[in-house]
Amino acid sequence: MLKKRKEMENGNSVGSGPSFTEKSFVPGSNPGSSDEKTIIGEQISIEGSILGKENLLIEGSMKGKIELEEHQVIVGSKGQVEAEIHAKDVTISGRMTGNIQALGKVEITRAAEFNGEVRASRISVEDGAYIKAVIELERREEKKKAPSAGKPDLQVASSGSSQEPIALSGGTDKGK
Amino acid sequence: MFVDHLERHPEGKLLDVGPACGENIRFFASRVGKLYVFDLFHRLCQERNRGRSASHIWPDLDYPVGSFEAIQLWDLGDHLEDQELARLVELCILMVKPKGMLMLIAMGEGSDTTLSHSYVIREGFRLQVRSQPDLDLPLHHRHNRDLIATLSPFKLVKSFIYRSGFREFLFQHP
Repeated sequence: MLKKRKEMENGNSVGSGPSFTEKSFVPGSNPGSSDEKTIIGEQISIEGSILGKENLLIEGSMKGKIELEEHQVIVGSKGQVEAEIHAKDVTISGRMTGNIQALGKVEITRAAEFNGEVRASRISVEDGAYIKAVIELERREEKKKAPSAGKPDLQVASSGSSQEPIALSGGTDKGK
Repeated sequence: MFVDHLERHPEGKLLDVGPACGENIRFFASRVGKLYVFDLFHRLCQERNRGRSASHIWPDLDYPVGSFEAIQLWDLGDHLEDQELARLVELCILMVKPKGMLMLIAMGEGSDTTLSHSYVIREGFRLQVRSQPDLDLPLHHRHNRDLIATLSPFKLVKSFIYRSGFREFLFQHP
């Protein structure tokens, strides 16, 4: 019901239409045992659960639960998802409300609108994305180490030079 | 001092009001139990584009009383009217735990851009200013005494001025 299988020769993403599976998912990446992905096209709405063992691109709308624990879920720029997602990696470029649990990385791109919770090993968020989220990253000791210097500083964008801050006061306003 | 406070509460909660910045999210998320990111800059922009005030945002800032070890406001105050900033401070004093911290940045007098900024935390806690071209918001410059008066429900514990004119204030819930 969800998909009709189709081999894509050029690897281009697909706009509207029925969902299907394509080969050669992302060049250079092999997120699971299969390079194939299922696409839920723009004109498709799904309510319920999706379980499987291949990557998933959602350009349509989906409400429910997605469990692809060893694979990647992408909410494309046209996608609208209200769901609980368990996956290896998750990329959000469309609208998503719900919780994400990823063993690997969560990417939120500049076009995304995300409202929910993220639990992941790693996360990247592009400038321009809108998020209202609770984020929990897998804790790694080396990440908690403080950067090398101890004092705060401020660099004017692209100037490349840094400037030492001057204390205005230790508790009262003596500055301006 | 702000980071020290966070690291003393490794299971604590921090609220970052945006603009969403990947580097800062990674920085803070690795230091607190839970990082809450609510991009108020983006929401403010949406409301301004609809011709509405920030008062439409406050109902979404619906976190329970005493939720956070700290709140990171960045320079949000510079983009709010006086009464809007006062309302935000009222909400912050409720949301921060006793002895919790609040960090605020204010632009210098010479700043005439209406573009918002991210203050990207770099090596050695250096802050790099990065413009956010999609977030064009009115700028309200305030003197230190006005800012501190507005933030008076909090206790000022540290303040810095940078040569570029930016000011950084660290407040504590009494």
